[in-house]
Amino acid sequence: MMGEIAGGFGTLFTLWPFLYLVGGFLLGLLFGAIPGLTATLAIALLLPFTFGMEVTNALVMVMGIYMSGIYAGSITGITLNIPGAPSGAITSIDGHALMKQGHGAQALSLDAFASSVGGMMGALVLMLLAEPIANLALLLQTPDKFSLVLLAVVTVTVVSRGTIWKATIAMTLGLMISTVGIDPMVPKGRFDFGSYHLVEGIGLLPAVIGLFAICELLVQAATPARAAHGEAVADMPKLRHRDFVPDFNIIREIGAWLYVKSSVIGVLIGMLPGGGAAMASFIAYAEAKRTAKHPETFGDGSHEGLAASESANNAMCGGAIIPLLTLGIPGDAVTAVIFGVFLIHGLVPGPGLLTNSADVIAPMFAALFVASIFVMVSLMAFGRINRGVLYAFIAMISMAGVYASSFSGFQMWMALAIGVFAFVLRRFDYPVVPMLMGVILGSYLEEFLRRSLIVSKGDPLIFLTRPASLIFLIAMLGFVWLLRLRPGVRKPGSG
Amino acid sequence: MPHFARPINGQAIFAVLLLVLTTVYASQIPKLGLPFQNGVEPGASFLPVVLSAIMYLCAGRMLIAEFRREAIEAAPHMPSDHIPRIGLTGPLLVVVFTMGFAAGLERVGYFVAAGGYTFAVALYFNCEESGRILHALLLSAVTAVALTLFGWLFFEWLFELSLPRWSIGT
Repeated sequence: MMGEIAGGFGTLFTLWPFLYLVGGFLLGLLFGAIPGLTATLAIALLLPFTFGMEVTNALVMVMGIYMSGIYAGSITGITLNIPGAPSGAITSIDGHALMKQGHGAQALSLDAFASSVGGMMGALVLMLLAEPIANLALLLQTPDKFSLVLLAVVTVTVVSRGTIWKATIAMTLGLMISTVGIDPMVPKGRFDFGSYHLVEGIGLLPAVIGLFAICELLVQAATPARAAHGEAVADMPKLRHRDFVPDFNIIREIGAWLYVKSSVIGVLIGMLPGGGAAMASFIAYAEAKRTAKHPETFGDGSHEGLAASESANNAMCGGAIIPLLTLGIPGDAVTAVIFGVFLIHGLVPGPGLLTNSADVIAPMFAALFVASIFVMVSLMAFGRINRGVLYAFIAMISMAGVYASSFSGFQMWMALAIGVFAFVLRRFDYPVVPMLMGVILGSYLEEFLRRSLIVSKGDPLIFLTRPASLIFLIAMLGFVWLLRLRPGVRKPGSG
Repeated sequence: MPHFARPINGQAIFAVLLLVLTTVYASQIPKLGLPFQNGVEPGASFLPVVLSAIMYLCAGRMLIAEFRREAIEAAPHMPSDHIPRIGLTGPLLVVVFTMGFAAGLERVGYFVAAGGYTFAVALYFNCEESGRILHALLLSAVTAVALTLFGWLFFEWLFELSLPRWSIGT
């Protein structure tokens, strides 16, 4: 595998893959830094175009977007106290406090340094662990896979935003959508309501565009410009390039151990289905505060707090890719959309991917590593972007993209319908990420369940008698206990 | 003591809508046969039955909670996607514009459909932001031309994805 990864670096530094990486990085930086837009949306908009790309270029570009999108969420968080993405919310606590104290440039440079360190560590862990985990995953049989998918479905639901009831409804809606179309076991249509369009099922692309692009467009149309921009735009300071050199005395003061520890937390959270960058940064921040010599400074401009949250959320990127590539399980919205990029190119994420297509995947690993270095040299301040230009761009690219990738007007209508429905879901405080996960994982869940029961001749105990399956089910119960049922987590009167 | 006198709110109406959608979905299940009909394989209807049951349970729970004025708490430290303050005019206009684009793309071709769509969306956001109609019209027209050309180059030239051209009368 290391040979392939070395080859991947070689491929990455040829003209087109490198340009795609730079392009993806800049796109992610732009989308990550603009409040309301995310790396997920950037990759979702890119999805139709990947049809016309070499698979390696598409994956390299996606990795650039992923890494920079997660990092850039903190730029506006630090400067304006408006995190561009949820992953930047924790960083903005101390980052913006430093900004108000007149140390904004230093906060941005420490932010970039921590993101870079975390990103590189995540990429290294990915390179080291992907093959062994894939080899282990090859040993999994169908009942184990069912329990694994069930673990992902349940975990994503319990860690979701909002109440457990609403998260369950969102996940179930996604699973329902996945049942529309041809039955995974017998060639027979379901839930087509007599429409030949629905016999094909509801594609991933209209679901992704609807849930993220159209829904976001409607949310922005519903939000007054003043609220969208925040109030601190006028306070944006002018920053000079030399201000962005990180102060190595502060880095020494923070200590290498904090970067390592936070990065490891980020990788582990990334590997957990439903983890995500926001949770990684929150847990790393809490852990850094717990062990800090001066925890009272957290929230008032702590360098340790800034470094911990930012190392963790970029390290999460490498961690989140591991279950996607090795087990075929996307852990969050971004990896769910990346899953779509693989499928579009006929690659099925899972244990066989690294064995059969290592040469295609290796540049993606290299891209994740190199993109994390780019973070250090990409510091820039964002001004206001005209909302008319921005949302007209998103509207046109997303709708035309759905059409161009399917040549189907019906898919455009489907994207619009899903977008409107997702908007209503969000209006009533239902999370939409579980819905996407349900759309993606539903067919696997059903197929593995039915195949397992055929093998066991209808005996459901097969899920408890296979060791790997049992471990996944116990882990699932453990997560439910830890994240929802444990005393102290559940509030009185909770659902 | 449960209190049932509360006026029906949006959350309750949405929960009812979910129950209706679930019923529409579940109405197709009888066509798929009974689960475990052959005694071994769960069959095509098993998962839909389970999903429908979960939906009835959860949406019913939301409905009852709304009627009883229960506060269903979110998990701690989890921020929400909730849209706190909205106007409906903007989203409705954007939906109408998007419907126009979806309906028009194959009929009038990419340039007219995309030009009109980007102009309308940009005009809405520019008017909402600046309140200056003339300025918004000018900016939106420039935006529409630029984005339409950019989209054409992006789709057709860079990624070789074809889009419908002008087709009236052909």
